[in-house]
Amino acid sequence: MSRPASSKERDDERLFFYVAIVLSLFVGAGFFLFIYGLSSRETETGAAAENFPPRLIQPDRPRQLVDFSLTDRTGRNVTRAELDGKILVVDFLYTSCSLTCPVVNRCMAQIQQLVTNQPDVKLVSLTVDPRDDTVEALAKYGGRFGADTNRWLLLTGDKTALYDLIGNSFLAQGPDDPFNYMPGNFAHTERIALVDSRGKLRGFFDGLNENTAAAVAGEIDKLRK
Amino acid sequence: MKRLNFVCAFLLIVAGFKIEAAPDADQTSVKSYDARGVVRQIAADRLKATIQHEAIPGFMSAMTMEFNVKDTNELNGISPSDEITFKLVVGGNESWIEGVRFVAHQVDDVTSNTFVFHYSSAELKDGDLLPDCAFMAEDGSTVHLSDFRGKAVAFTFFFTRCPLPDYCQRMSRNFSETRQLLMATTSAPANWQLLSISFDPGFDSPEMLSAYANAYRDGDTNRWLFAAASTNTLSGLAPRLDLMIMRDGDNIMSHNLRTVVLDPQGKIFRQLDGNQWTPQQLADAILQAARGQTNSAP
Repeated sequence: MSRPASSKERDDERLFFYVAIVLSLFVGAGFFLFIYGLSSRETETGAAAENFPPRLIQPDRPRQLVDFSLTDRTGRNVTRAELDGKILVVDFLYTSCSLTCPVVNRCMAQIQQLVTNQPDVKLVSLTVDPRDDTVEALAKYGGRFGADTNRWLLLTGDKTALYDLIGNSFLAQGPDDPFNYMPGNFAHTERIALVDSRGKLRGFFDGLNENTAAAVAGEIDKLRK
Repeated sequence: MKRLNFVCAFLLIVAGFKIEAAPDADQTSVKSYDARGVVRQIAADRLKATIQHEAIPGFMSAMTMEFNVKDTNELNGISPSDEITFKLVVGGNESWIEGVRFVAHQVDDVTSNTFVFHYSSAELKDGDLLPDCAFMAEDGSTVHLSDFRGKAVAFTFFFTRCPLPDYCQRMSRNFSETRQLLMATTSAPANWQLLSISFDPGFDSPEMLSAYANAYRDGDTNRWLFAAASTNTLSGLAPRLDLMIMRDGDNIMSHNLRTVVLDPQGKIFRQLDGNQWTPQQLADAILQAARGQTNSAP
């Protein structure tokens, strides 16, 4: 650059200079946007980490609602035939469960509200502790969560019948641990299951996640498409 | 603010660039997406297939829809309920599927489920002998259920950290009242014993147990022993007594309540579930068992 330059060369230099400036602006702005995008994404996930939208958890194997005969909290006999063609939202409870079950059943109550105008959807709660959870105990428990007798069935019955239904249609068994112990040893009782109108288990949502009610309602919409 | 202006300006430049570039991209915009789903229906002419597909990343979310099939050979050997992978090709104004591969035939049918779960109960009934087991007593010694042969024994489960007044704490209050009732019954036989068993052996040391016990026993240790069951003991007892304990790490999350009366031979005389039974009911059961009467449960 020290040697004298012709005007053509000077023009070229000037052009090169402008191009360089424009390019560096682009690179700088791009870099700024990239960092900005990253940081805003980080704050989003950071804030929402506790309750990010729950995912549909796939069943461990294909599962289908098997035949059953149980008793609901009004003392009425309920069989699978009554639920044929319905979309089912199912949870698992025992009324002496003080921490997780109330959270899961508040979620069920929210789902009940969200499907108010969808007569093809039923909610079903299966007790894992039928010796304690008699018809009377379930009537009281259902009342506590505002369960609609026609919409939300709380079922009890013979333990073997209940456990065969749960073990075949829903939950896998957990590790053989005296804690987390339930007769039958089912894992993930805090999950909410979704069964389609053909009786097929579509999957589970985490019943402890506060966004699960909306996610279940969304998945039900998808089932109808 | 300046920075925002700058960003806006930059975005305009970029947008301009994109608009310019767009027509160019359009001419080569036949795109292909990898997809997976279950065939629900195949048209008679095999030129259309309804597929319940999973989300197609970058294109569409999971749904069931009808797709065009350009080459009918693509569906050779494929029938409804088959799970397949395929490519969804999206051109300027048409779309079709190709590269169909069979993955599995989906089993929706209950009868063809090979896995059948059968729950087998280990629960004991009234009259069954409860196999002997050992606990760590509040003084640190080992105590066996069989040490109480000849006596009616009522036992229940609790843990000292249990915060709920209507669960473990009610069990302890009920035991306290039951003991008072029995002590006050002049005609009562002397062969009876109460036993409160903790299922939190890691936390409920002899010191914790006796501190807790003394709060309920009013300084009188007579006929009411506190103890803790080991994990091993619990794994034998829980299925026999229908006892449920859920723990998250070191914390007991929730549990059910089981109270059992054994007769002087160690057989189950009566079981009182939950928290609705009264001290009088328990006292009556203990008296009947201690006297060798037959079980006359309501």
